[in-house]
Amino acid sequence: MKTSGKALAQKVERIEASEVFSIRSDELPTWCPGCGYFGIHFGINNAIQQLALLHHQVVVVSGIGCAGRYPFFSHTYGLHTVHGRALPVATGVKLANPELTVLAVGGDGDGLGIGGGHFPHAARRDININYILFDNAIYGLTKGQPSPSTPVGFKTKASPQGTREQPLNATLLALSYGASFVARLFAGDPEGITRALTAGIRHEGFSFYHVYTTCVTFDKQNRTWDHLKKSVHALPENHDRTDRGRAIEHVLRDNDSLGIIYQESR
Amino acid sequence: MGKLDITIEICGMSGDGTIAAGGLLNTAMSRAGWSVLAFDSYPAEIRGFGRCVTRSRFGETKQIALEDSTDVLISLDDKQSLSRIPFLADDAVVLFDNKPSAHLAEGESIAAHVAPGMALYGAPFLDLASSASGSGKGRNLAALGALAAIYNLPLDYFREVIAAKFKSKGDRVVEANHKSFDAGWEYAREQFADRIRGIPIPGTAGEEPEKLLLSGNVAIAEGALAANVKSYFGYPITPATPIMEYLAGKLPERDGRVVQMEDEISAIGAVLGSFFAGTRAMTATSGPGFALMTELITHGVMSETPAVIVDAQRGGPATGLPTKTEQSDLLAAVFGGPGDSARIVIAPTDVTECYHYTAKSFRLAEKYQTPVIILTDFFLDNRVENLVRPTSRPGDIEDGNVYPAIADRWNYHRYRLTESGISPRALPGMEGYIFPATGLEHRQEGVPDFSPENHMVMSQKRRTKILSALADLESPVEYADPGRLDVGVISWGSSFGAALDAVNTAREQGLRVGALKVTTMYPYHAEEIRAFMSRCQEILIPELNLSGQLATLIGHLFPKDVIRLNMVTGIPIYPSVILVKIREIIGVQGR
Repeated sequence: MKTSGKALAQKVERIEASEVFSIRSDELPTWCPGCGYFGIHFGINNAIQQLALLHHQVVVVSGIGCAGRYPFFSHTYGLHTVHGRALPVATGVKLANPELTVLAVGGDGDGLGIGGGHFPHAARRDININYILFDNAIYGLTKGQPSPSTPVGFKTKASPQGTREQPLNATLLALSYGASFVARLFAGDPEGITRALTAGIRHEGFSFYHVYTTCVTFDKQNRTWDHLKKSVHALPENHDRTDRGRAIEHVLRDNDSLGIIYQESR
Repeated sequence: MGKLDITIEICGMSGDGTIAAGGLLNTAMSRAGWSVLAFDSYPAEIRGFGRCVTRSRFGETKQIALEDSTDVLISLDDKQSLSRIPFLADDAVVLFDNKPSAHLAEGESIAAHVAPGMALYGAPFLDLASSASGSGKGRNLAALGALAAIYNLPLDYFREVIAAKFKSKGDRVVEANHKSFDAGWEYAREQFADRIRGIPIPGTAGEEPEKLLLSGNVAIAEGALAANVKSYFGYPITPATPIMEYLAGKLPERDGRVVQMEDEISAIGAVLGSFFAGTRAMTATSGPGFALMTELITHGVMSETPAVIVDAQRGGPATGLPTKTEQSDLLAAVFGGPGDSARIVIAPTDVTECYHYTAKSFRLAEKYQTPVIILTDFFLDNRVENLVRPTSRPGDIEDGNVYPAIADRWNYHRYRLTESGISPRALPGMEGYIFPATGLEHRQEGVPDFSPENHMVMSQKRRTKILSALADLESPVEYADPGRLDVGVISWGSSFGAALDAVNTAREQGLRVGALKVTTMYPYHAEEIRAFMSRCQEILIPELNLSGQLATLIGHLFPKDVIRLNMVTGIPIYPSVILVKIREIIGVQGR
């Protein structure tokens, strides 16, 4: 679907009027042109804007990787930590000052590989932090090695015969770890990201956002824009987001539905 | 009678009430005015059914080290106690149960093994306790009663501490224990009437402020509470766990918390996050956990985020000797981790210093925006000293943060270059000072910059800052007469007490020796250390590691090779070992 010139101009006007760009820092993102992270960035900024959060009351904590650079591009307080450790550091920040809105961001290698041991504990500790996983199923910053969410058979320089390991499903993990808020999102749908974040930031507890995104430079075969756009779809209308068991059943059947999959009522 | 200096040991199987009896003895002796230094050893295995030994040294002046020989052995289990015989003084007193519950085979009773110069006191602890209280459980108290009679110890204090210990279990339990104690006392009084020894009662009893029995670990926790720590993030590990458990009982009532994390990496991560947001937090660990923390500690160095970390050293490497003492993490604490990552490392030498150093560490971490590592070890963590309740020193616990000026608002650079290297630090929530902090090399604004000149400038800035902390850190302390010294002994941590004890004895023997206490491990006071070294013919550095880590760190300040005295036996170094070495260096044999 092509956007007409007039519609695009109107969209740009609307966006500028929303002042969402004020949450961007003066640093130009180092992400490649066409990277899905721009969509996530926009979606997050819009949520901060819509919730009227004061920029100095927001802290973005990140690990290492392309997503780890996020704090440099956000006009909020930022803490770029080491590989895999965004969640424990974010836990310390939130407990130190509960007034702050704390976002932890990182990629699939950061959060499911090296940092995979912190994810279940952040979920069961249920401290009010927001964990946004940028899942492009590849190590991008180190130039294209398979990650814990890379599908079987994916060929890279580091896996010339194709990967053999089963990929991890971060949404399913979060549900089984007992996370009290779980959303699955798509970088190509920033509005969906904003909707989920505005609900999740208000949720009193650990909120997890699993964002499908792309690596346009090192993945031309698997999680591409074309493939993602064809496969993702909204959650069924009758999806019951208050039932963890049903949510798990749904996710086992459907890997491509988007929206707030589970939210504990409290 | 001369000055009192007596080491009493109680040995039994786990289940004999050995540790309980030792605790009562220490408390009663402390109340009566003696100084106490005690260190228990117990098996690493929970179900090991192993040997328990409490060792306490009592004296009139402050005891700073344990000695290698024991003056009194109370045996609650002869099979276990046999192994202690080689450690008894030539004229030791051995108090044992001459009618134990299990029949001992020929030669198994300790009575058959003591050397001729020793004095044996046999008493039926089990029978005495059973007939007095109706239960043999109190045989450890009957033994204490016998000890009190033989040494003419003030009874009131024992009765007091027994009542206090068993109060929560009800009057009947208190009474039963009093009866067991009294039975032991009366028996010994009668049977050993002509062998009562007596020891000098301190003249100061009841005059000085009441003293507490405090372990290094509890002193650390109390020091942290004095500094108003809000969060403790930790992971269980011997010998640091008691700090977490003590704080878990105290922090909630002070609007704080203990969070048991999933590993040591997350513990240090949460501590950094907390300080980043302006709230005091700490963690404590031992070698294996400390190794896991290394990367994030260097992140604290690079991002200039404060943290307080206790490394309670134990035997290493790897899992090593979890319940044994060693001082082999020094170089890891000072240099461990990627890159040039100077941080502050301090090492208290006794329980009082554990308190003050911990209390002060938060302010140091905030002011110099760096992880501060407090190095202790199993011996220092678990030993018990009696001391007047410490209170925080003025200035130690104040907010150390250096906040940015109002004028910098909206134009704030987190890592601004300054003469001291200290850049004012804003906290999240402060409007107009937004910045990114990062473990990547960065320029003053906090954004990554890998240019050659920037890395030089920023590395130098961080180093300058840490070196400038010397002004706030404890200087080395000399224990020596002025003038030339034949041997200067430099030591650190829990070994310093033994070094000073040995030096004191050597000086009494007329030898020209001195001691230097070093508690600031990094950055270190090179000028002061060199000044001491320059008047010494030889420098001896005793420490509990194999390679001589302090010797490696500061040995280059001495024009000759320093003499290393290294032990990795898992037990504290004794003054006698150091004394023999001092005398050997000077050219006299033996003690």
